[in-house]
Order: sequence, then C-alpha cells, then structure tokens
Amino acid sequence: MYSAEISRKNPGCFIFLLDQSASMEDPFGGSSDRRKADELATIINKLLHNLSIRCAKGDSIYDYFHVAVIGYGQDSVVKSAFDGAMTGKDLVPISELANNPLRIEDRVKKADDGNGGLVEQTVKFPLWFEAKHAGGTPMSSAFKMGADIVQRWVAEHPKGFPPIVINITDGESTDGDPVQEAKALCSLGSDDGAALVFNIHLSSAAGNPIELPASGDGLPDKFAKQLFDMSSNLTPFMISRAQELGMPADEGARGFVFNAQPVQVIQFLDIGTRPANLR
Amino acid sequence: MIDALNPVTPAPFSVEAFSCQKAGNARTEYEDAWAIRGSDSPTRCRVAVADGATESSFSALWAALLVESFVRGRSSGPDFFEGLDSIRRLWKRKIRGRPLPWYAAEKARRGAYAAFVGASLNAVNRGWRAVAIGDCCLLHVTGLPEQMELAHSFPLTRSEEFGSSPFLVGSLKKGDDDPRPHVRVSEGVLGPNDVLFFASDALAAWLLRRAEKGEPAWQAIGPMGIRTQEDFETVVAQAREDGTRNDDMTLLRLTRRASWERGAG
Repeated sequence: MYSAEISRKNPGCFIFLLDQSASMEDPFGGSSDRRKADELATIINKLLHNLSIRCAKGDSIYDYFHVAVIGYGQDSVVKSAFDGAMTGKDLVPISELANNPLRIEDRVKKADDGNGGLVEQTVKFPLWFEAKHAGGTPMSSAFKMGADIVQRWVAEHPKGFPPIVINITDGESTDGDPVQEAKALCSLGSDDGAALVFNIHLSSAAGNPIELPASGDGLPDKFAKQLFDMSSNLTPFMISRAQELGMPADEGARGFVFNAQPVQVIQFLDIGTRPANLR
Repeated sequence: MIDALNPVTPAPFSVEAFSCQKAGNARTEYEDAWAIRGSDSPTRCRVAVADGATESSFSALWAALLVESFVRGRSSGPDFFEGLDSIRRLWKRKIRGRPLPWYAAEKARRGAYAAFVGASLNAVNRGWRAVAIGDCCLLHVTGLPEQMELAHSFPLTRSEEFGSSPFLVGSLKKGDDDPRPHVRVSEGVLGPNDVLFFASDALAAWLLRRAEKGEPAWQAIGPMGIRTQEDFETVVAQAREDGTRNDDMTLLRLTRRASWERGAG
C-alpha cells in the first residue's frame, strides 16, 4: 500500500481546499498586523512554488502531479479557486499551473556563496492566490467537492498513488460536521490505498506551532481537535521523510499542523532519488 | 565491449558497459553516466559510474562531467573531490545563459546532484583502489563462473542500506554541503577469476538482496549471463518484476585478460 510509483505515466494528485470565509480576516496567531487569509495565501503560494520546482527537470517541467485548488467561503459557495488563465478549472497538470501564475515577483534572497558567506540573489516568486475573506465557511461542501474529484481521479488511475487532500482553514465550519465528509472522502481510494486528508489549521490564538502530532491531547481548542480527527495517519515513508526533513513525526503521526507553514509536505511523496543534502 | 586500452600491446583489462533508462522514459532522459579509460600507462585502467539524482536538474550533465573528469585524471582517492571546483565551473558554464522558465531557473539555482564510484586498477600488482560518495557500488566477485561469490561490496554492503535520500555530491559549492566527510575509499586485489562490477543503486541493491537471500545473483550478470544489451535488459526486467524501483540502471563489468598476463610474463 502507498507504494505506487509516481511518474508522468502514473501521476500523483493533490487537491487543496482553501477557506476563504469572512473569519479568515481575523488576526493570525496573535499577530496584530497579519490576517489568517494572508497566512493562507502565503502557504498555498509556497506549496505550489515548491511543487512546481520539484517537478522541474532541465529546462522543462514533468507532470508528476495534477493539482486542484477549491475555494470555499466567497459568497458561501464552493468552486475552483483558480483565477486568470485557469479560472473555473479544477484539476490541472502541474506544468499548466507553473506556467500560469497570476504574476511573478522578483524577491531578493540571501544564498550561500560557497565560501562561508552570504550573497544576495534575485529569485522569481510566482503568486497564484491573493488573500480572500468573505461569506460563510462551507467546509463540508468543500470536502464533498473534493470527494467528487477524488472519485473521478481514482476511476481514471485505479492503480495509482491515491490523491492527497490538503485543507487549509481556521476550522470554523458553518455547513455542518465536516468530519463525516472527510471520512467519506477517505473511504475512496485506489488499489494502492485510501485517499489521504491533511489539515493545516490557522488560528487566531497565539501559541507554539504544532506539527504532525500523533495524539489530539494538548491541542489548543475544539477546532484543532476536530481537524486532527479528520486528518489521516501518515504512511511509514512519509514519517521517515518528515524526520529526514527535520519535522517531529513519530509513529502514529497525522497529517495535521497548527499555526505552522508545512511546506515540506510537498516532499512527502517519492518521485525518485532526493539528495539528503538538497536544501 | 571496450578494451581498456592500449593500441600496441594487448590491453590488460576487458571492460563491458550496459545501461538502460527508467521504464517509460526516453533514452535521452537517462541520467546515469559511465566512463572507461586506459591511462597514460599501458598497465592501468580507470573506470567510473555516476547516478544523477532524479530530484535535481541538469544532473545527467553533472554525472557525465564527474565520470569523465575522474577517468581523465590521476586521483584515485579522496583527492578527486578536492578538485571539484573545476568540474563545477564547467557545469555552470554549460547551463549559463540558457533562457529558462522561472521553475527551471530556480531548480538549476539549487544545483545538480549525483552518486559516484570510481576506481583505478593496476594490472601489474592486480590492485584496485576505489573512491565513492552515495550509493553507486563496486561489487568484487570471486570464483569460477559457476561458483561466483561476493568478496567485497563498496561503499554499501547490505541491501537495506539503500534508501531514496543518500548524501550525494553537488554541482554547487555550499558551506553546509561539504562532500569530503562523506567520501569513502576502498582497496582490493583482483584474483585470477575475479570480476569487478560497477552498478548504479537500484541494480546494486537488487543484486545484494538476491545474494543475501541465497538466490543466484552474480552468474546472471557474469560473462556467461549477460553477453548482449538484450541480455542486460532481460535482467533489468527481472529486477523490476522483483519489485526493484523503476530507475536508470547501469552495469560495468571488468575482468583481467589472461592473454595479457601471459604476454606480460
């Protein structure tokens, strides 16, 4: 289980669910100037940035993954969150996504100069999503739409690695209990295993980030506990990869983080030899 | 078959190379590299195999530059990795100036990575010396064809040591990425019926796993087992059927020529 090869012939599938509801306008993590919607936009842009780079090969990009991004909240509806050239599309190959950001910013980054010092480099940073916050939080409906995409995907890729659904939210669902919908989604899958659900919880509460816990004990509020309950166990490969990447994942760890930017999640699937010293 | 290599006297070693790209990939996407060269002495030979990492860009180029630099040089120990700067400059020069989309430019900025094993051999004293980083392996097999057994495996010795995230040698010099602590060196002597195999990781792991289980491993890749590229592809197919991960596979097989010994004697 969870051992199907991911390649251009047998691609993987990521489905992101973005909470774009009014409550996402509230401050993030006790901050006075940063909203949860800002944090969400940063996380999804970073995840897609890293995923695109991961699939880049030479002067091209390999379609190792197909990606859907579903937004929920704006006018209390659930729909594809893509703007620009991809408006209205659900699943797109990573090459289409990488080639169609809303805009590309130049950012200055400090990099190792190889001689013990740092040198400033200008790097391209694409943005696909802006901060959005309006309407209710139809999270259960978002999971239903995610399940529809999962069902379609596994019908087309019955032997492939099962889809991974990553929900980014403050947890306050307004259309019923999302746990049942998440469980229903996880009842779908391919010959290689059930679909996996991960949750990234962005809270207004201050507190230390929590990454990949194996237990819901000690989580700060009922929303965190609910999202933990909705989250799948990591596979053994994912646990070992998370440990290699410096994340605190023990046996039983679940795909849940609280007030953290888990951009390493994108590395949890194996697409070939990854140098241990690649930062 | 490539004789290594002297046009006047018979070559002391015979080296054969076989390779196969990942299933589903085009041949141009093969990211391993190998090189063989007789040196400035008719009694010596140099061999190298490298495996460019899937998760880095322009890694086939980096792997090719590493093996070529090794066989054209004189280093046979860790000092090979002291001279990486010039190979790195060459890699940079070859990709500089290409118009790349943002993701390709960013990936290239992170550098290419490869596993490497290289060996130099001396026909007079039959000695070999090898240097390695990562999980490309030298497998020293001894015994008559029907009784071949593993004498030494380097740098990894057991199939469970192979993983998907080895430390590899990078095409960019970084402060926290010094390959020198990760360099391994080994030496041996080639007996009369001995064979040295050089294999990239997936193939080496499969061979070691078979040997650990007491299943025939070395005969299948020995001179009687693989004679042609088609024979090699049959072995690769068997390895993949056995659950070996889909990867580029490369095998170099080096033997001593008895005729050279008689001539030299």
